[in-house]
Amino acid sequence: MKELIFKINDKNGLHARPAGVLSESARKYKSDIMVRCDEKEANAKRLLSLMALGATNGKELHITINGEDENEAEVAIKSVLEKALG
Amino acid sequence: MKNKSIVSPVDGEVIELENVCDEVFSSGIMGVGFGIIPSSKKFFSPASGKVENAYKTGHAYTIVTDDGLDLLIHIGIDTVELEGECFEKKISSGECVKKGDILAEADIDKIMEKGFDPVCVVVADSNKLHNVEINYGRCYAGDIVMTYEQK
Repeated sequence: MKELIFKINDKNGLHARPAGVLSESARKYKSDIMVRCDEKEANAKRLLSLMALGATNGKELHITINGEDENEAEVAIKSVLEKALG
Repeated sequence: MKNKSIVSPVDGEVIELENVCDEVFSSGIMGVGFGIIPSSKKFFSPASGKVENAYKTGHAYTIVTDDGLDLLIHIGIDTVELEGECFEKKISSGECVKKGDILAEADIDKIMEKGFDPVCVVVADSNKLHNVEINYGRCYAGDIVMTYEQK
């Protein structure tokens, strides 16, 4: 299992565009990818689930990646987060 | 299984998603659906279900429909930047809606004056749909725009 912590640096938080890009990237991997923000948890492959996190600027996203391609997924997810919300 | 439908949330002109001037939508990343160039201010729910998230900025609504489909209704391109200005949210996260219930009012003229494209995008999770058909062109809120079968 891989774990990532990412602090949102985007005044609009995890809104539709970054959530869309993140879910698209997550869907390319077989691993289960979960994103937790405060007490809420989302399936990264599901756009609506990510949008429902209500993750605002400055919040930390705790991401867990579990599966056969977790190493590749970790690299991709990290890169997407940095581009979309960093 | 019989065809299911999504209705237009607003009066306007239905356009192809590919013609929406935003790559995230036009490329299909966000799902399958359509754009509408709105000609009125009131936006209604395109399906019955539960509002999973009504953004506090009033520009975007996510609904899980009664048949389990994920729907996103996004009013305008990059309108998150307006931080709620031009939008009056009429519903809250967690509420149940019927097809045709009001979601929001948006000041389309003001959105355009501020330099934003007011096109409304309705997209659904493409993994769950097949045989999608969309009626393009002039429509009124409540008209059937998209029919589909669910996998």
